[in-house]
Amino acid sequence: MDHLTSETFDANARAALTDSQLRGALKNVTSLFGQRRLAAVRSVSNWEELRSEARRIKDETLLNLDKYLDEFTAKAEACGAQIHWARDAAEANEIVKTLARERQARLVVKSKSMTTEEIHLNAALEAIGVEALETDLGEYIIQLAGETPSHIIAPAIHKTRYQIADLFVEKLGIAPTDDVVMLTATARRVLRQKFAAADVGISGVNFGVAETGTILILENEGNIRLTTSLPKIHIAVMGIEKVIPRFADLAVFLKLLPRSGTGQHLTSYQSLITGTKRTTDGEGPEQLHIILLDNGRSKMLAHPTTRQSLACIRCGACLNACPVYQQIGGHAYGSVYPGPIGAVITPQLIGLKKSSQLPYASSLCGACREVCPVKIDIPELLLHLRAEIKREPAVGRQESEGVAKNRGEQLAFKFWAMVMMRPRLYEFSARVGHLLQRFIKRGERIGKVGGLLGRIAPPLAAWTSARDLRPIEAESFRQQWRRETAGRS
Amino acid sequence: MTNTSRAAREAIMHSIRSSLAASQGIVHTPHTIVPDHGEPIVADGSLSPIETFCARLESVGGHCHIAPDEEAAARMLSAIITDLKARQAGKRIALSDSPTVARLARDIDSDEIDVCPAPHDLFNYDVGITATQAAIAETGTLVLVAENERHRLVSLLPPVHIAIVHARNVVLTIADALSQLRCDDPQEMSRAITFITGPSRTADIELTLTVGVHGPKELYVIVIDDRVADNKPSSV
Repeated sequence: MDHLTSETFDANARAALTDSQLRGALKNVTSLFGQRRLAAVRSVSNWEELRSEARRIKDETLLNLDKYLDEFTAKAEACGAQIHWARDAAEANEIVKTLARERQARLVVKSKSMTTEEIHLNAALEAIGVEALETDLGEYIIQLAGETPSHIIAPAIHKTRYQIADLFVEKLGIAPTDDVVMLTATARRVLRQKFAAADVGISGVNFGVAETGTILILENEGNIRLTTSLPKIHIAVMGIEKVIPRFADLAVFLKLLPRSGTGQHLTSYQSLITGTKRTTDGEGPEQLHIILLDNGRSKMLAHPTTRQSLACIRCGACLNACPVYQQIGGHAYGSVYPGPIGAVITPQLIGLKKSSQLPYASSLCGACREVCPVKIDIPELLLHLRAEIKREPAVGRQESEGVAKNRGEQLAFKFWAMVMMRPRLYEFSARVGHLLQRFIKRGERIGKVGGLLGRIAPPLAAWTSARDLRPIEAESFRQQWRRETAGRS
Repeated sequence: MTNTSRAAREAIMHSIRSSLAASQGIVHTPHTIVPDHGEPIVADGSLSPIETFCARLESVGGHCHIAPDEEAAARMLSAIITDLKARQAGKRIALSDSPTVARLARDIDSDEIDVCPAPHDLFNYDVGITATQAAIAETGTLVLVAENERHRLVSLLPPVHIAIVHARNVVLTIADALSQLRCDDPQEMSRAITFITGPSRTADIELTLTVGVHGPKELYVIVIDDRVADNKPSSV
């Protein structure tokens, strides 16, 4: 299957809108996670303080990132971990490939990790003949299907149980069934054999604690525990922004992350791993390799607005809250990071040239900002990236063509701004508009549906092709307000 | 560390420092973030820590029993195994190397009880019995510390996990647990700590909650509350 790219976001989104199965699934996942999140948030009395505290910890870390990375690596190494640094995806993949070759590994089991998706580790391993098997149930399903995740918490949410059943029948040779329990049991059986045989386990990292060198990974399924306990080598791929200063800081994030992601008070399992086992006969891997990945992250520190992107703890709450994501799902973003946070991180990782439509994939409603457990101002970031596109038209391919063509649009916005800043002129315009709109109004809408606006005024047709307008009311809000309040006081 | 890795470290550190330096002069006025809506619904605090622990654990699908002493706990353990056997789910039993577990498991009626079987063998066991080093009341969480007990795999591979908790080891919050686990000298820290809250679960297929996808399908916890009456919170 061809994977979508960020470059064609508009077309991807349009295609997604015609997929009724996808939209049904999206409605279910975003509303369920949204409701559960709200209930879980209400179970703590100091949610606002926790959010502020989490952001304060992240800001403190990011402003001293070099220092905390040094501390983290020194402590982890003292406990037996081996630290590797990777400037980009290619370097990170090379490190993993070298480790795999040294051990003559044939089978690698992986637990869900956005970072390894970001660097396309599976493809790199397969290129040297190493089987890299995803073990998270959702990730396993989409790997079997040759697809990519559509939601960072529920990767296979775009598939129905019937599609998954067909896939298991075809790839695993099971008898036909559409029973979810049977399908899950099949995955358990197949993957256990793989866990028993795997040479290397690869995981991500949710938090790396500077003062102790500990890495913490959260999950519900148990595949991370298996990945980090059974194979002789554990490789953890960690973005440099995942470090936090103190062990005690984990308490804040353990309250925020599960509640924001799945609406749980705590996920089923947390693995806190500090280096390697002390005695050779102890349980667990012999080696722990931690790969610290930059891949464009350090550049995001250069501006306070973009720096916020590095505070993200990958909970997925902004996806569920976003009216755009709710309609189009994750694939349209053409990136491992979808939704509002993806629309700001992807352009910073791959460049605006290849993702110039993403900063516009938002109505700027602010729902993402409201639910973000670390208070990332995503709308501000979107505007920042849009401004960058306008300032340097060359960075945004699509937009640069647009800028040349749209002198008219710029003039129109200048005129609009002038009217908006003059209350009397604004009221006058609204009254004139109310009188004139009868020529273009059809029923109670102005725009594409039944309206004449598109046909009469071609420059506005581009704007109304995707939007309906409500007609201007006879009485403005200010007039209503004056009338309503006149009788009182 | 290889030469490439060392060069990468230098380059990344340099990029971090120059980015931070570049950002110094930029004035940034943070947006006032809208407070999250909704009035908090918080537990009324009438439950004791042990009761809170059991209530939280049961809310996520765990089964909780409270025993006044070890003898009662041993009887409860035997009863659980008998029930499991009746369902063909309690034939082979794996124990951790905990002395408490050894004492409690003495009376279990089974010919196939082994202490810490080899990993490849452990895949074929039905039940794993372990002790725990702590438990967290506010979340219903078990805390397993690898240095104190060989239970990393016994608690993970068999489809049923039975855990023993001592009431004196129950702490109120995650923060309390973390502060107990933290050591000033990181070298003293346990190399592997596992928090367990309920059975293994997934909702990856059509958001249908399914237990036992990779870890145990069933989790039983026996809390031994043999503290003298004076030390017990008197809400019962």
